[in-house]
Amino acid sequence: MKKLYILLAIGALMMNGCAQKKPNVTNGDETVTIDENNVNSNGYNSSSDGMQSFYFDFNKFEVTPDMQQNVTFNAGVINGKLSGNKIKIEGNCDEFGSDEYNYALGLKRAKAVKDSLASEGVPASNLVIVSFGESNPQCREMTDSCYARNRRVDLHTVR
Amino acid sequence: MSPIKIILAGLFLTISWLNAVDATLTIKKDVEQRGKISLVDATTGASPVKSKFFDVLIADLKISGHFIPEENHRTEAGMSDTIDPELKNQEYVLKYALDMSGGMNATVKLLSAGDGRVILSKDYHITSADKYPFLAHQIAVDVNNKIGYTDIGWINRYILFTRYTGAKQSQVILADYTMSYQKAIIKGGLNLFAKWADKDQKSFYYTSYSGTLPTLYRLNIYSGSKSTIASSQGMIVCSDVSPAGDRILVTMAPNGQPDIYEMSAGGGSPRKITDFSDIDVSGKYLDGGASIAFVSNRGGKPTIYRQSIGGGSASVIARGSSNDVDTYNNQVVYSSRESSSSYGNNTFNLYLGGGDGGGVRPLTSSGTNQFPRFSVDGSIILYIKNKGGSSSIGYINLLSKENLLFPLGGKVQSIDW
Repeated sequence: MKKLYILLAIGALMMNGCAQKKPNVTNGDETVTIDENNVNSNGYNSSSDGMQSFYFDFNKFEVTPDMQQNVTFNAGVINGKLSGNKIKIEGNCDEFGSDEYNYALGLKRAKAVKDSLASEGVPASNLVIVSFGESNPQCREMTDSCYARNRRVDLHTVR
Repeated sequence: MSPIKIILAGLFLTISWLNAVDATLTIKKDVEQRGKISLVDATTGASPVKSKFFDVLIADLKISGHFIPEENHRTEAGMSDTIDPELKNQEYVLKYALDMSGGMNATVKLLSAGDGRVILSKDYHITSADKYPFLAHQIAVDVNNKIGYTDIGWINRYILFTRYTGAKQSQVILADYTMSYQKAIIKGGLNLFAKWADKDQKSFYYTSYSGTLPTLYRLNIYSGSKSTIASSQGMIVCSDVSPAGDRILVTMAPNGQPDIYEMSAGGGSPRKITDFSDIDVSGKYLDGGASIAFVSNRGGKPTIYRQSIGGGSASVIARGSSNDVDTYNNQVVYSSRESSSSYGNNTFNLYLGGGDGGGVRPLTSSGTNQFPRFSVDGSIILYIKNKGGSSSIGYINLLSKENLLFPLGGKVQSIDW
């Protein structure tokens, strides 16, 4: 019986020694990690399906007369072989400017292209606009020509 | 020189001298108010974070604005209450010993350097050893508070930032303010504009691009539970949370036009706050929520405006071409572009001023300084500095003028704390 008490006492001491200490430090508790690497992008693809991108001057979002030919061309493709498809219009920026402002600038570019396509007879209800700000550059060189390539609107078919 | 000119010149010199003396005295007084402190590391054996821990603790004491820490990494075997005679000219000696069993533990003693009196004696524990910076921060907070200085609890807060990792790819990162601790809380996909939802830093808002439309979510960092707040074509960003935490300012474009809206913190019907045909973004509550400061290009270039939360006309409150505004009560801080090159590394400096546009003063003088953010108590400005091809996260103590920079890799998209 005495041995049993000794064993129980040792066991209790070990349990106490092994018990997890509660953190007493601010932000000491564990946090989660959400992994979205395997989440697909809802069926979008990255192809242009024969459509052509629009390019803009620094801090500009107007569709200028020299872009009209591009508007007419894309309207023809969308109303022709892509008729009935939903089209995603993606606005993009170069890396200059603040975060929210750049996303708004990309949005204004996408909206301007949407309005110009609608004026060429493309049903507006088939056009979805989204801004990717400076998150989707086509190139990363620190040159004027590279920055110009990033100030653009891309057109993609929603599959 | 006429007698009047001589008298005026003499008066000018006297005033200049008095000003200079006054300034010198002010600085000296400020320095004298800070406690001289030495750190003594009594950790036995080799610890992988021994040197980093010391560096973090030194940074904490410095940026507090309350201490002048000795930067010599002193060590001793065993943790006695004896003060090394070399340290008698200090006011405080902070002794600590680390051990890594079951995470990380620290035994800490704060001693009065003059008489060896124990001011604070405490043991600390944290489960993940990689969160050791928070253990150091807690020690600094306790030491600071025990001596009776103004609270520096802000150093315990998480920094929440979004970093681009590739085309249409980003990570949302949790970090301590020194960036010594970093953890990706969302990785993969394009998730942007992370913004704390509550003062306790339990949840944050972010914009996900995984669906057809950009969608604003709120995520609990401990449980992983996620709720949908709203979606909008084009863009949607939570720019600010009201002082009471019950409302949010959101930039969204339900009709393709980016304007600032207000809605309940949990979602619901948005109420339009600004109405302009070009760009209004980055709404921040001002004057306790009665007004907002925001970025608009209504004057032809982006700068900072203010407007009543109920609508009405907007007025300019910033100089030149400015963006990246943040607010604290009735103060604003913003980044102003000070060179005119369309490309390359333009100079952006930070300015602090009143919400009415008055009392403006510069906080930086060189480099590209952006993303200014007030600390939760308004005493510190966080910002991102790019200079010479490298980026850092910086902190400016508005009272003591202490300035610290820590290296930061990658391109930051948004930051909050």
